Amino acid sequence: MGEKRFMKGNEAIAEAAVRGGCRFFAGYPITPQNEIPEYLSWRLPEVGGAYVQGESEVASVNMVYGASAMGVRAMTSSSGPGISLKAEGISYLAAAALPAVIVNISRGGPGLGSIQPAQSDYLQATKALGHGGFHCMVFAPASAQEAVDVLYDAWDYAERDRNPVLVLMDGCLGNIMEEVELPPMKELHDEDLPEWSLTRRNGRDWQGNITPIYTEPILEGLNAMAGEMYKGWEEDDVKVETFMTEDAEYVVVAYGIAARVAKEAVLTLRAEGVKIGLIRPITLFPYPKAAIRDLDYTQVKGIIDIEMTVPAQMREDIELQVMGRCPVYEYGRSGGCLLDDDGVLEAIREVLEGGEA
Amino acid sequence: MKTSFVFSGAGGQGIMSAGITLAQTAIDVGKHATYLPEYGPEQRGGSAKCTVVVSDEPIVSPLPRQCDNLIVMNEQAYEKFIWDLKPDGILLANANRVKEAPDRDDVKVILVPVDDVALELGNPKTANIILLGVLTGATGIVTREIFVQSLTEKFGKKPDVLEMNVRALDKGIEIGQQYK
Repeated sequence: MGEKRFMKGNEAIAEAAVRGGCRFFAGYPITPQNEIPEYLSWRLPEVGGAYVQGESEVASVNMVYGASAMGVRAMTSSSGPGISLKAEGISYLAAAALPAVIVNISRGGPGLGSIQPAQSDYLQATKALGHGGFHCMVFAPASAQEAVDVLYDAWDYAERDRNPVLVLMDGCLGNIMEEVELPPMKELHDEDLPEWSLTRRNGRDWQGNITPIYTEPILEGLNAMAGEMYKGWEEDDVKVETFMTEDAEYVVVAYGIAARVAKEAVLTLRAEGVKIGLIRPITLFPYPKAAIRDLDYTQVKGIIDIEMTVPAQMREDIELQVMGRCPVYEYGRSGGCLLDDDGVLEAIREVLEGGEA
Repeated sequence: MKTSFVFSGAGGQGIMSAGITLAQTAIDVGKHATYLPEYGPEQRGGSAKCTVVVSDEPIVSPLPRQCDNLIVMNEQAYEKFIWDLKPDGILLANANRVKEAPDRDDVKVILVPVDDVALELGNPKTANIILLGVLTGATGIVTREIFVQSLTEKFGKKPDVLEMNVRALDKGIEIGQQYK
């Protein structure tokens, strides 16, 4: 049994990062993620790590680039507007093949938006986290516990792939306190530092300098390698929860906080005898295509996409798998207005009764 | 059994602290709990609200539209959230700041002048603990014993503060039991 604590999602992320080996954090304040840097500001020094409040988002993400190049498990966190500012740096991390963990505790948008929670950064996270056509693995935990599990292993993926990993969670889950069970501290040693890191190369081999700029045709080859890596993720790394879909006539697709509210509705409707299920993507990239593609469309009458953003953003990814075999409906709240149990239940009932969500 | 609570009032009235204490105490008695704070951009003086869900089972959704128990510390909170209370729910209001609760005749209303009670006990800062005591006495959501244990964990290093809070809790429970 691990250590149980009652923690905010943001604090759970921070503690799990430390236990997963994070020893460097740089960031700049923005609601609703401030508990992450606040926590790490005292926690990282306790374990011999370094915490920097950068002078800006741009500076912070580039400090992460530097720390990662030295082989240190490095992280930054922000919310929508700040992630946009970090976009260039994240693209550079991907170009330089540097592992890092980026956390987006999302809020209402676009622009400065609102400080209240929203799931409005799906497209940014999954399609273009920066320029240049790269992808990161995107994890979307739905509870403080799942956030702990994701953060604890995030660097294992990032270092395996030499590519940044994004954790996307909305401000609601970031601020909710829940019980979590914390895993033990991962023991990391100097000899575990990646072979390519400058710390290990220093003094013996400067051939392996780390750069985000290449000349052709090297860059084309790296682009192709990245493409192969993304295919590999689709084969090996998809994470998805399917709940009561076997006999379902209606399937709700939702991630993160929206999936929690949607699951409550599914349970309520199941108790009434409605054949309804839930598909909850845990990785948003790679997307759990097969879970949606391979549903029995002689049985499924409709898919309902529920997101805490308007209009729905994940809908395109769902429709690509449904391929017109049944209608896709959507329901959401946005701009800092939260989804709630009754609202989601009423929206699903409208679909069941033949209306629009 | 799943029970929800909304606490609201002005920043500084111990709203968030009351919510966390209830959730922590519920976990200490072996239940599951979530606590969600909501706040605006104000640094101080704004309104404070938090939602606590307590359940015997793991909590699926932490976002109920309506709550079973609404605890309001001032008139503004009453006006804002009175319709977020379920029919047959419990309204617990600070009678020093909410003079009457005229809008709902389908809920159980408990009006307690907590500011006065806290002053009589010797510390106005204990108003939120008195309210939690009333809630405990009226609903039995947690037990006094575990509540005292939670307070001891929180204030154990300051015996005088602990003693004051336990007295506030007991006073609240005594009032709450009249509404059981």
